[in-house]
Amino acid sequence: MLRLGSKPENMREMELDDIFISRLQLLVIMTKSYLNKYPLGSYRERSILENAGFVKVDAEELAEDIVFFGWDENAQNGLNFEPVFYQRVKLLAVMAEAFAKGHSLEAHKKEALEKNLNTICEAITFSKTISDMQFLKVA
Amino acid sequence: MREAAIIANVKIAVIDEDVIVRDFIVSTLMYSVNRELLTFDDGFDAWVYFEESGFPDMIIADVNLQEIDGLALTSRVKKASPGTVVVLFSDSPGNETKAREQGSDAFLAKPFGVNELFSLVQTFVVEQDPAGDPSIPG
Repeated sequence: MLRLGSKPENMREMELDDIFISRLQLLVIMTKSYLNKYPLGSYRERSILENAGFVKVDAEELAEDIVFFGWDENAQNGLNFEPVFYQRVKLLAVMAEAFAKGHSLEAHKKEALEKNLNTICEAITFSKTISDMQFLKVA
Repeated sequence: MREAAIIANVKIAVIDEDVIVRDFIVSTLMYSVNRELLTFDDGFDAWVYFEESGFPDMIIADVNLQEIDGLALTSRVKKASPGTVVVLFSDSPGNETKAREQGSDAFLAKPFGVNELFSLVQTFVVEQDPAGDPSIPG
């Protein structure tokens, strides 16, 4: 039996923060696939739109929490990203919605998208490469 | 280099009463395989559907389900359709051994993320090259 996921001592119920980070990582992979010209299909488009929608709403709510409660750079609980991080995530989600709807992004927008993507990846320490996921190359 | 292909018309079912976790799994797998997925929030509804409409290629289910839990569902599915891949997930370490005893093909320990779900696709949903082409990870 294949075993994946957390070590036994770290096992626990998945919280909203876990889902937000996981969905954001998925959005990063979706965007990298788009930038690498991997094929889309109708269900992939739907999946991108749904995922981007979730991420956008969550980022807005988390940004509102900062406005309401204030941001403590040294806080140990919760995600505790800088306020601008959530603006970057919202921008990524909006751009993902655009390419999923078939709007082509001009070269300078792709460049901005890639730059934003790299900054987000650095913040969440996510460095997944998509080249080892051959199944994404076929629709 | 040959590109890895998803099993043709692959059918995947996701069963979890926690809609937030279930929707995340569905988004990730739908994107991976570019197919519609079956979703259920309890084991009984899933079992009835499988008996009437046929068993999917892969089932991903929480251990804690109403009516028929994930462990009992695994046992039933493996008897009725041994070729169906069953993946159980849980937040309790004690369920890992139970999942193995019921014949589960994989165990996902919570919390898990996209990497683990992509690994499941790579392992169970990508057609393996019969010639053993090393360009296609197993």
